[in-house]
Amino acid sequence: MKWLMVLGIVVVAILMTLYEWPKINKEQKREKKAFVVLTAGSVILAVVLVYFPAMPGPTQLVDAIFKPLGKLLEQ
Amino acid sequence: MVDKGKISAMQLAFLLYLAITSTAVLIAPAITGGIAEQDMWLAPIWGSIAGFLTVFIAYRLNTIYPKQTIIQYSEKIIGRIPGKLIGLLFLFYYLHLNALSLREYGDFVVGNFLPETPMFVVLGTMVFVCAAAVRGGIEVMARTATIFIPLIFFLFLFIAIMLIPDLEPKHMLPIMENGIGPSLTGGFLASSWFMQFFLLSFFLPTLGKKQKGLKWGMLSVIATMLTFFLANLISLFIFGDITSTFNFPVMSAVRYISMADFLQHVEAIVMAIWVTGTFVKIAVFHYVLVIGTAQWFKLSDYRQLVFPLGFLLIIMAIWSAPNLQKVAHVLGTTWPFYDVLVHVLIPTLLLVAVWLRGKANGKNARKK
Amino acid sequence: MKRLFKPEKRLLTIVLCCIPIFLSGCWDRTEVNDLAIIAGVGLDRTDNGKIELSVQITNPKAIGGPGMSSGSGQSGQQPVIVKTGTGKTIYDARSKLQEKTSRQLFEGHNRVIIIGKSLAETGIRKHIDFFARFPIPRLRANVFFTDGKATDILKVIPSFENGESAEAARELAELKIGMNVTTKDLLQQLASSSGDTALPKITASKSKLGEGLKVNGTAIFKNNKLTGQIDDKVTRGLLWLTDAIETASVTIQPKDAEGYISFKILRSSTELIPTIKNGKWKMIVRITTEDDVTENETKLDMMDPKIVEKLEKQMEKSIDKRIQLVLDEVQTGMEADVFGFGEAFERTYPQKWKQQEDQWDKKFPEIEVVIKSDVKIRRPGRSGGPQGVPQEKEKKK
Repeated sequence: MKWLMVLGIVVVAILMTLYEWPKINKEQKREKKAFVVLTAGSVILAVVLVYFPAMPGPTQLVDAIFKPLGKLLEQ
Repeated sequence: MVDKGKISAMQLAFLLYLAITSTAVLIAPAITGGIAEQDMWLAPIWGSIAGFLTVFIAYRLNTIYPKQTIIQYSEKIIGRIPGKLIGLLFLFYYLHLNALSLREYGDFVVGNFLPETPMFVVLGTMVFVCAAAVRGGIEVMARTATIFIPLIFFLFLFIAIMLIPDLEPKHMLPIMENGIGPSLTGGFLASSWFMQFFLLSFFLPTLGKKQKGLKWGMLSVIATMLTFFLANLISLFIFGDITSTFNFPVMSAVRYISMADFLQHVEAIVMAIWVTGTFVKIAVFHYVLVIGTAQWFKLSDYRQLVFPLGFLLIIMAIWSAPNLQKVAHVLGTTWPFYDVLVHVLIPTLLLVAVWLRGKANGKNARKK
Repeated sequence: MKRLFKPEKRLLTIVLCCIPIFLSGCWDRTEVNDLAIIAGVGLDRTDNGKIELSVQITNPKAIGGPGMSSGSGQSGQQPVIVKTGTGKTIYDARSKLQEKTSRQLFEGHNRVIIIGKSLAETGIRKHIDFFARFPIPRLRANVFFTDGKATDILKVIPSFENGESAEAARELAELKIGMNVTTKDLLQQLASSSGDTALPKITASKSKLGEGLKVNGTAIFKNNKLTGQIDDKVTRGLLWLTDAIETASVTIQPKDAEGYISFKILRSSTELIPTIKNGKWKMIVRITTEDDVTENETKLDMMDPKIVEKLEKQMEKSIDKRIQLVLDEVQTGMEADVFGFGEAFERTYPQKWKQQEDQWDKKFPEIEVVIKSDVKIRRPGRSGGPQGVPQEKEKKK
């Protein structure tokens, strides 16, 4: 089942690239870079999450940072 | 400017109103009711103070840098590296906040209407339409909001009127049983929605007439406060002490509607309000994220970022919270402080920095 | 046109055409003919402590034409189907029930919840949770108590409402002859500090003319367990006290005349005014009603202001008596605060309430109740003086 999800993620990424890539002008180097970085980053994160769904997320990070203040509101 | 579109101040007010009230109405009565109890109707009033403050700060900063957003002027004010860091914090914050809103929407739809449908399908379809709207640009989004506003307004009014026979105002008493404290704490939790009005910072540069921005921004805060107030009041008058035991009190209240035995089972209306409202909300936040990212990377166009960031948004939504309990807990404890940091503290410090620099420059100028 | 034939465009078109295939697999698709629409739910407790869940399912075949005379009993289509399942919790019982049902159980149209005596005696709080948590049931459903088994009530086929006893029960509750308690109301009362509540009692009545349901009396729950029952007459007093009286008639016998006079209550409001003076807790019950005369057996002239004034006084006494009746039985007898006295004190004296909250159980039976009723007879009805009496023999006083 997991490989199917990975396949799905990759297919989505390919579809996005196919749709957007021809629209970016050849001179827009920065744009191309940003697009590649974001897409690749998302795909990697998604695939990692497929295999490690319990990985602590950004919410836990925020929760950990603001914990001392949050205690004030906890009852 | 990355987006060349221009909108009017009224359209901006509509956009912000829809973006902020949609999730506020959904879960805020439960969150504020848990702490403020029968004083929960006061919470939005206290909370709105934060709304007025953030609108004012965003407007002041905009008058100094009229063509820029916070991502751009933070670099100008405190230098390149710290500015970039602040920009990154804002981008991360908006991605995270939007992911949580998306997750709330997903949990709501899956929990109440489509229990068998996988979460990522519910989220994916929503993000896809939002991304399409963002790709269309600010003008498209503003027009969508203008179309939705009367619809949502009348549906909300309809719900409020239908519930009148079941309201019991006695649930409000005793007012301030434990002093002003609980309602203020509830107001602090509620202010987390009002502080989102800092979004104004990203939209003010697109305004045709700048002077009207402040007025309409404030009007939007007032409208949000009233809606929020009404939602809390209705939930309180119907459920009283048990309001906070429901995860979506307004939803439970609407399911309770029964007029003359035949006008009942109208929760599809709530669904309509929340799906349209959430659509605007996610589109607005996604737009801000995309525009902000484009400015952060100093790109000339933002459209190619819409889909990759949308994809990232879905992943974040699934990743950001293991379950609804966690979301509600974080929103009820630590999240408001995060809001204060991003939406009030940093902008205020920036404003102070500008002011100090202005003073120093003034002195230097005089010396010269 | 040329652009359409670019290779990547063609690929995109193919992919886009493939996407709708996935859309057809709608996960939450439910067709009406796959659903077993539940009209009423009954809860009982088995001897070994399990929950027995009974559901009344509307029979779709019978809905079409109940009036069609197809030779009585020939087709034998029951208007409803009653099924039972047992389990540790309601949901457990429900899943057992689902095993026996070929259609998917659907509570979205559930109108009544009937609690059997066996379950009521062991406490109802923990079982109500299901109706507030599971996404499908509505909080509008009316809750009843029955002295016997809940299943038996669901099996009754009343003459009205297409033979659906659940609908009949709901209509009875709406008439407000007895208490009208929805799931939401019950949740609120259970969550109040005393946890005392009252539920209308529903009974099946069988006669030659057919089966029927009636709401007669009220079941009193103390701390979510059944402690006693009060009859129809005492229930009236309870309705007066809780401001729930709506369609009611009052019949009195005037002191100085033969026969009875009946009144119809048009409007009535009850106010609970708690007072604490010198540490003495007192509850003032202020009742104001407006009535019309509907029947006059006596020879009294209903147009005479003096007579009307006397009648008003007498009615006030009769209302006081009814209320006293319920106070005697429930306040001092069962010591259950189903009137909302505790909440009234909490709202008016939040500080003093907090000090006394723990001792409320002891304090409640000792509270002095002062009833101040104010009856206003508004209209004499269609006739003024008594009918069928020669003018000169009318009693004028």
